[in-house]
Amino acid sequence: MRHTSPVTVYLTLLIAMLCQLFPWVGQGIIFRPDFMLVVILYWLLRAPHLCNIGTAWFAGLLVDLATGSLLGQHALSFSITAFVALSYQRRLVLFNSWQLAGYVFALLMIERIVILLLKLFEGNENPGWHYFWPIITGLLLWQFMILMFGGLTRPKTN
Amino acid sequence: MLKGVHQKLEAQQTPAFFVRGPSLFSRVIFFCALSVSIMAIDARFNYLSHLRQAFIAALHPLEVMANAPSDWYRDIKKYFSAHNQLVQENYALKQQAFEQQVKLQRLDTIQAENQHLRSLLNGNVPLQPNAVLGEISHMGRDPFTHVVVVNRGSRHNIKAGQAVVDSKGVIGQVTRVYPFTSEVTLITDKELSIPIQIERNQLRAIAFGEGNNTLDIPYLPTNVDIKVGDKLVTSGIDGVYPAGLAVAIVTKVQQNPESPFAKIVSTPVAGVSNHLQLLLLQLPDAKESAVPQPAAAETTEHKKDNINDSNNKAKTNAPH
Repeated sequence: MRHTSPVTVYLTLLIAMLCQLFPWVGQGIIFRPDFMLVVILYWLLRAPHLCNIGTAWFAGLLVDLATGSLLGQHALSFSITAFVALSYQRRLVLFNSWQLAGYVFALLMIERIVILLLKLFEGNENPGWHYFWPIITGLLLWQFMILMFGGLTRPKTN
Repeated sequence: MLKGVHQKLEAQQTPAFFVRGPSLFSRVIFFCALSVSIMAIDARFNYLSHLRQAFIAALHPLEVMANAPSDWYRDIKKYFSAHNQLVQENYALKQQAFEQQVKLQRLDTIQAENQHLRSLLNGNVPLQPNAVLGEISHMGRDPFTHVVVVNRGSRHNIKAGQAVVDSKGVIGQVTRVYPFTSEVTLITDKELSIPIQIERNQLRAIAFGEGNNTLDIPYLPTNVDIKVGDKLVTSGIDGVYPAGLAVAIVTKVQQNPESPFAKIVSTPVAGVSNHLQLLLLQLPDAKESAVPQPAAAETTEHKKDNINDSNNKAKTNAPH
């Protein structure tokens, strides 16, 4: 496990919140990645002692408050995703970067599906395939996080 | 002795550096239950609206920060907009102002005449809604709902339920008010319905948002007199939207043999995505909105005149 300072974690979460608040005009909203979720997942997988299901839940609640959607739905989806992410967290050391990307893809997919189910229960129409675009953009954001803050495990030293 | 070994093994199963409080599973169950109960409370009761308002107010500085880059971009673009374009715009605006002045002169006389006729008939004075100019600060962040956020809030005396219009027609209704901002639900949102009238034959109906940039007019028989291209205007029955504002234009009328009702689809005329400024109309007082019966009949007569008038204007504007 690599050393991480709590300041970095909370600062990046704040920046993610800012990005979430950034005004997305018109059709751009389709491609908007879930900034908060990707950043939370990164810290969950890298520093589980700093970031836990409770943090994910709280972040989801903030997203709900900011988006004005039904309170608690992002909180629910974030905590379920965090649970799945953490239950395999110790095996990630064995994954190469492609496998890791696939794993993150699956996690983002879980979050989208939970939200979709909740929205359908609320009586919304089926949004169509473009609803899943944020997974792709979220993966790009994930790669960006890895570039910025390094991989999940300590780089190999020869 | 065997017991002692067993105890040692038990202790080794969870070494100290892996212990992180309650197990993952119990945590996720706890937080799921918490969020489900919050959802239930939020959906059924109104307890959390104050919390939401307080949070949005606290978030305002962050929001301003997040909006800053696009605001700067807009300002810079405005600053560097070409001289030529400004001259053209100035010319167009002058022409528009002149045309509108001519129309306004007629409106004054018509209004005076209307007032006089109403006083003769002991009718009510028509509603003159006051309006506040607002600017769209951003679109809603939830792609499922059709919401825009406007930079006017309870500090500017905005109340939930106010009608919102732009220069072309009705945009929607204020649904949530925060101290500095307010949420406007668009007429295309599936939670919103609006009482309308077909401009051509004064047929009254209610239009519902469909959630995908169109309006639906359900529960009308298949032989209803609505054609493609008909203009829908507000009927003013609800007392929220003033009568005669443009709402939408019918784009599709479909008769399904299996259904007793026609499927009528229309698209809104107000351009939400390409306008920034909009007007928030003040809610009428409860006293004023109680219009007696004879006066209502008179207003429809008057509206016909208005409509013919606007049609004429549309014709005169067409060659431009």
